Amino acid sequence: MPSSLKARTSGTTELLYESFLSRWLVIAVGLVRAYLARGSYHGLYYSIEKPLKYFQTGALLEILHCAVGIVPSSVVLTGFQVMSRVFLTWAVTHSVREVQSEDSVLLFVVAWTVTEIIRYSFYTFSLLNHLPYLIKWARYTFFFVLYPMGVAGELLTIYAALPYVQKTGLYSITLPNNYNFSFDYHTFLILVMISYIPLFPQLYFHMIRQRKKVLGHVEEYSKVE
Amino acid sequence: MTRSSAGLDLLAKAYHSLLIGCGASSVLPDWTSCLSLTWLGKAFQTATMKHYEVEILDAKTKDKLCFLDKVEPNATIGEIKSMFHKSHPQWYPARQSIRLDPKGKSLKDEDVLQHLPVGTTATFYFRDLGAQISWVTVFLTEYAGPLLIYLMFYFRVPFIYAPKYDFTTSKHWVVHLACMCHSFHYVKRLLETLFVHRFSHGTMPLRNIFKNCTYYWGFAAWMAYYINHPLYTPPIYGEQQIRLALIVFLFCQIGNFSIHIALRNLRPPGSKTRKIPYPTKNPFTWIFLLVSCPNYTYELGSWLGFTLMTQCLPVAAFTLVGFIQMTVWAKGKHRSYLKEFRDYPTLRSPILPFIL
Repeated sequence: MPSSLKARTSGTTELLYESFLSRWLVIAVGLVRAYLARGSYHGLYYSIEKPLKYFQTGALLEILHCAVGIVPSSVVLTGFQVMSRVFLTWAVTHSVREVQSEDSVLLFVVAWTVTEIIRYSFYTFSLLNHLPYLIKWARYTFFFVLYPMGVAGELLTIYAALPYVQKTGLYSITLPNNYNFSFDYHTFLILVMISYIPLFPQLYFHMIRQRKKVLGHVEEYSKVE
Repeated sequence: MTRSSAGLDLLAKAYHSLLIGCGASSVLPDWTSCLSLTWLGKAFQTATMKHYEVEILDAKTKDKLCFLDKVEPNATIGEIKSMFHKSHPQWYPARQSIRLDPKGKSLKDEDVLQHLPVGTTATFYFRDLGAQISWVTVFLTEYAGPLLIYLMFYFRVPFIYAPKYDFTTSKHWVVHLACMCHSFHYVKRLLETLFVHRFSHGTMPLRNIFKNCTYYWGFAAWMAYYINHPLYTPPIYGEQQIRLALIVFLFCQIGNFSIHIALRNLRPPGSKTRKIPYPTKNPFTWIFLLVSCPNYTYELGSWLGFTLMTQCLPVAAFTLVGFIQMTVWAKGKHRSYLKEFRDYPTLRSPILPFIL
C-alpha cells in the first residue's frame, strides 16, 4: 500500500480501532454488570444481544481493511473468521431463539470479547507506536485458551440448534418446486460443524507459528515506550 | 563466421540448388543439411562448429545441478531438457522449466541455443514444475465422469432416491430429452479430445486433475440429482419452452463443433503454430467476425439452452460459473492475440459480441 495513503488513513484507522475497542469494552462491561445484577450467568446473552450483533457485523469492515492493506493480516483468514462469526451471530444464535439461553452462547461471546479487546488494543497501540510488550504478549498467548473456548462454544451452540432447525424446517427448501432445487439447513449445519475439523487446526497452528515469529525475538526487542 | 566456413556455405548452397533442380525438394528442407551430405562437409562442420557449454542452476538455491559440455549450437531447449533428464531421472522433460533468468519466463522447447542471448557458456536456471499429467488424460477423465454419473442418476441406481424408485424411469419426456442432450454433449467432448483438438501444451500440473474432476463430477451429480428426481417439475411453459431450448442447444452444439474444426485446421499436425482464426465457408464460423473465442460463446449458449430445457437452478448455477471461467479465459486469449498480431481485427470482443 503506498505510504502516502497509509499516512493519510492512519489517523482515521486509529479512531476506527479505538471505536471498535470501546464497543467490545461496552460488551464486556455489559456482561459483567448483568452478571453482577442477576447473580447468575444464565441468559446473559440478552443483555448484550444488540451490541454484539451490530459490532460483529461491523467487523465485516475488517475484510475491507485487509484487502486495502491497512491491516497486515491475510484477507482470506480474516474474511473466513469474520464470516464464521457473523454466521454464528445471525444464522444460528439470532435465528434459533431456543439456543439463546444456552451456556455455550456465553462461552463464545466471552471468548470473542476478550480476544477482540486484546486485538484492537494491539492494533491501536501499534498504530500509535506505543505498544506495551504486555499487550503483544497477551495477543499471542491468550489465544491458546480463547480459541478452543470459542470453538467449543460455537460447536455446542450449533449442536443445540440442530433439533429445532429440523423440527421447524428453518431456512430449508423442499421439492417439488418450480426451480427444481432443495436445501436442508439441518444437513448444512452438520457440514459446517464437520468443517471445523480441518479448519480449526490450521488457524490454531497459524497463530502458534505467528507467536514464534513475533515473540521469538524477545531479546532483540525492548519494551517500546 | 570464418572465410573458410563462408566458402563452404556457398558451396553447400550451390550443391543444394543442384539437388533441388533434380527434384529432391521433399528430402532437403534447407541448404545446411547439404553440408552433412558429404563426409568432407561433415568434417569441416565439426571442425568449424562452436560447441557450447551449458550449465544448469537451481533457480531458487543457485546450486549447480548439471554441466553439459560439447552442446551443438543448433540444439533446442527440448534436447537440453532430455540431456538434463539423463543426469536427473526424477525430473522428466515435461516438469522442467528452463529460463535465462531465475524469475524470468520459461524458454520454449523449440528455442535454439545459438539464437538465445547467451555466450558460449550458457547459464540456465531450472525450476521444477511438479508432477505433470497430459492434457489428453485430464480431459478424458474429467469428461467421462459427468457422462457416467448423469446416467447413474437417470437410471435411478439404488441409494440415491427412495428405494421404491430404484431403476424406475421418469414420467416426464423432457427428462429423457435432457439425458440425451447431456450425454451427447459429453460424448462430443470426448471424441473432440481424441480426434479434433491440437494441444499447445503437452502437460499440466498433476493437482489440476483433482481440482477439475471435482468441479465437473460434482456439478454433474448435483444437476443430475434434481433433473432425474421423482419430484422433478417440468418447465412452466411446457412444450414451447422445451422446443425452443432444444433448438438453442443443438444450434450451439453444431456451432461449438464448427469452431473446434476451424481452429484445428489453422494448425498443421504436430505443430504449435498460432494464427488468427477467420470465418470460413461454414456459416457457424462467421461469428469470428465479432468474437475472438466463439467456442466459449457457443458453449455458453448450449448451457443456457440446457438450463431453459430443464428449468433447474443447479444447472443455472453451473452455467453461471462456467461463464465466469470462460470469460476469464477468453479475455486472456484475446489479450494474447492482440499482443502477438499487429493486424488483429478491431471489431472482435473476447466472448460476447460488443459486450464482453
